[in-house]
Amino acid sequence: MEHDNLSRLLPDDVDRREAEGLDATWRMLGGIDAPVPESDRMRARLDAALDAAEHPAPAPPSRWFGRRGLDGRRFHVLQGLAAAAILLVGVAIGRLVVPGDARPADSSSEIAAMRSEMRELREMVSLSLMQQQSASDRLKGVTWTGQLDRPSGEVVSALLDALMHDPNVNVRLATIDALERFASREDVRRATIQAVERQPSPLVQIALIDYMVKTNQRESATTLRRLAQDQQVDSAVRARAAWGVLQLG
Amino acid sequence: MFTQSDGTVTDETLMEAVRNGDVAKLGMLFERHHRALFDFLVRMTGNASIAEDLVQDVFVRILKYRATWRGEGRFETWLFRIARNARADYFRTRTTNAPIDEAAAHPSHAPLPGDLLARNRDVARLQRALMLLREDKRELIVLARYRGMKLEAIADLLGIEVGTVKVRIHRAVKELRDIFLRLNESPSWNTTTSVGSCPTT
Repeated sequence: MEHDNLSRLLPDDVDRREAEGLDATWRMLGGIDAPVPESDRMRARLDAALDAAEHPAPAPPSRWFGRRGLDGRRFHVLQGLAAAAILLVGVAIGRLVVPGDARPADSSSEIAAMRSEMRELREMVSLSLMQQQSASDRLKGVTWTGQLDRPSGEVVSALLDALMHDPNVNVRLATIDALERFASREDVRRATIQAVERQPSPLVQIALIDYMVKTNQRESATTLRRLAQDQQVDSAVRARAAWGVLQLG
Repeated sequence: MFTQSDGTVTDETLMEAVRNGDVAKLGMLFERHHRALFDFLVRMTGNASIAEDLVQDVFVRILKYRATWRGEGRFETWLFRIARNARADYFRTRTTNAPIDEAAAHPSHAPLPGDLLARNRDVARLQRALMLLREDKRELIVLARYRGMKLEAIADLLGIEVGTVKVRIHRAVKELRDIFLRLNESPSWNTTTSVGSCPTT
């Protein structure tokens, strides 16, 4: 399978003597071994991902739309209404802002009120997306939170909830990115440190360790040191945790 | 074509089944390709843990984007295209460089007699030279030398002409030999060059 002979891979006009010299280097490359993958562990991780794809866990009951949440059709109706409402509010703001002569005396308070409504609508759509059964909808919800100007505490709680309990690895990974802007909040710092030990997925654990380093969470060093020494923990996570301790030290 | 000459189902047929909802077939594709993928990624990153995570990421991406499989080309080319993107994304989102694995950086740990030891040192130095090579050049060498990819397949993967692949392989091996010779003259040469970073051009 390997190309042992370099000359067939070189342009025709390469000098024969030069080709022979390069071929020696090429052959020596064959002496470099690569580590063998830990196939069983890797297959187990893939099987977990496949299992999650074939049997998605039911979404937790919605805190915003009752215990049953919204079914797909009702949700899409809501999404459409929300989009239309955002558009109407945007047009109304535009009409209030220009032209200046026709602007009503109390326009600034109306604009503020409409902006606040828009913000609430966006937030509501993000939160409802995060409650959907489909992982891609939840992923969209998490991503949308990044577009919110001043997200409420409810959004932060929903993100932390997703980080701890969402059955899908990709959603949990996206949540870590989304939480970065709240890294200075005490509750977020506490929850992310807890999450790094509780996560079942090594991928998410490693992403959380990177997050700790990126946001300079020195208080996480004790937890990371514990992870680095725990033989039950995935070896890649242990190595990353040890690296994290060094970076934060 | 649904089966290969040995009667086994082709990768493309398996991927079509995955796309149509039979996601369990991805396990078969994993069994066929994860070693080659791991080998490519470990030689590109110099780190087995990162390579393992990236292999996982590649198969999760296949699962996630299975609907985008059009069945028009070879599965292996599509797979390596996803792997290249996954690796690029990994290093794009991380500012620091991962250390080179000791296990990946040295060809052998066992004590060896004189001439074998010297040869082993040369191979270890060549491994270091390979990791110091700019990664687009390293990638060409890894694909051609270790993955045994045909020139046409490399050209398809990189979106360039076969003639261009030949020219670039020539330049890459030449540069590799130059770095190797410089390391032989001065072993501490260019030790600060990063590993796994993105190409500068």
